[in-house]
Amino acid sequence: MKESAFIMLTNGFKDKLYRLSKRLLVSNEEAEDATQEVLLKLWKNKNKMAEYKNVEAFAMTMAKNYCFDKLKAKETGNLKIVHSNYKDEQPSLQRQIEAKDNLSLVGKIMDNLPEQQRMIIQLRDIEQYNNAEIADMLKLNETAVRVALSRGRKKIREELLKKHNYGVG
Amino acid sequence: MELDKLEKILEKYFEGETTISEEKELKVYFTRETVPSHLEKYKDMFQYFSEESNITATRELQLNTNRKTLFSWIGVAASVALIAGIFLTNMPSKSEELGTYEDPEIALQETKKILNMVSLYMNKGKKELVYLKEFENTKNKFIK
Repeated sequence: MKESAFIMLTNGFKDKLYRLSKRLLVSNEEAEDATQEVLLKLWKNKNKMAEYKNVEAFAMTMAKNYCFDKLKAKETGNLKIVHSNYKDEQPSLQRQIEAKDNLSLVGKIMDNLPEQQRMIIQLRDIEQYNNAEIADMLKLNETAVRVALSRGRKKIREELLKKHNYGVG
Repeated sequence: MELDKLEKILEKYFEGETTISEEKELKVYFTRETVPSHLEKYKDMFQYFSEESNITATRELQLNTNRKTLFSWIGVAASVALIAGIFLTNMPSKSEELGTYEDPEIALQETKKILNMVSLYMNKGKKELVYLKEFENTKNKFIK
């Protein structure tokens, strides 16, 4: 397979890899690293590519495994996950700040979900994969996916309701 | 979309029983400007989901693994060529014909001749060393 063909193929799901990694690892930099690592691994094994029935799903599984390894390495190394996504944004309106705040609140809620639920919501609600595809990627059965999805969504709703009722996050 | 239908879908949504297309409808609905106040709380959630799907990776993928090995092979080839070149250009000057003898008798004679010559020069050189004795004599005069 030629380099350009490979890049064409992977461009279709590169961003999805990145977003999943970012969901798990939180830091932008680490997510970029993870994406690159997964794509390079795919490139090295490009001769076997024809054997995979779904390269995209395969890559997503690789990304998940890579991120889990990273997280585990951090835990055992007794390091805290440090992420500094410094941003230089200057919203012109108070409303914009508020809207951003509310949205980042959803992000924060998601970050506190168990990894399984977080991934499944990412894959389903953001990437719009169906449950069968998710089950394949995460090596789960479909019922487990549906249950985790429901739990995660309910948890987000619950947290959002708390915020709405008390006005405090 | 009618409100009661929407609420039904929403309920299904939290049970994880909606289809992808129903979820798309929800997303479209909640990313509109105005939403009834009792549903306002869900707006953030769906807006967040649709916004998150627009994040893209910024780093370009570098697939230079192939090129690297190619370059290293070029390096190896170049150094082999260089070494071979040095040897090949020096070979002719070094490999001068020195001659050899077929008959062992003659070879012995010739070897003796050469060894004789060596000892001749050796003795000639040693003659000069006689003067060294003078040092010994002079030294003995003073140190006894």
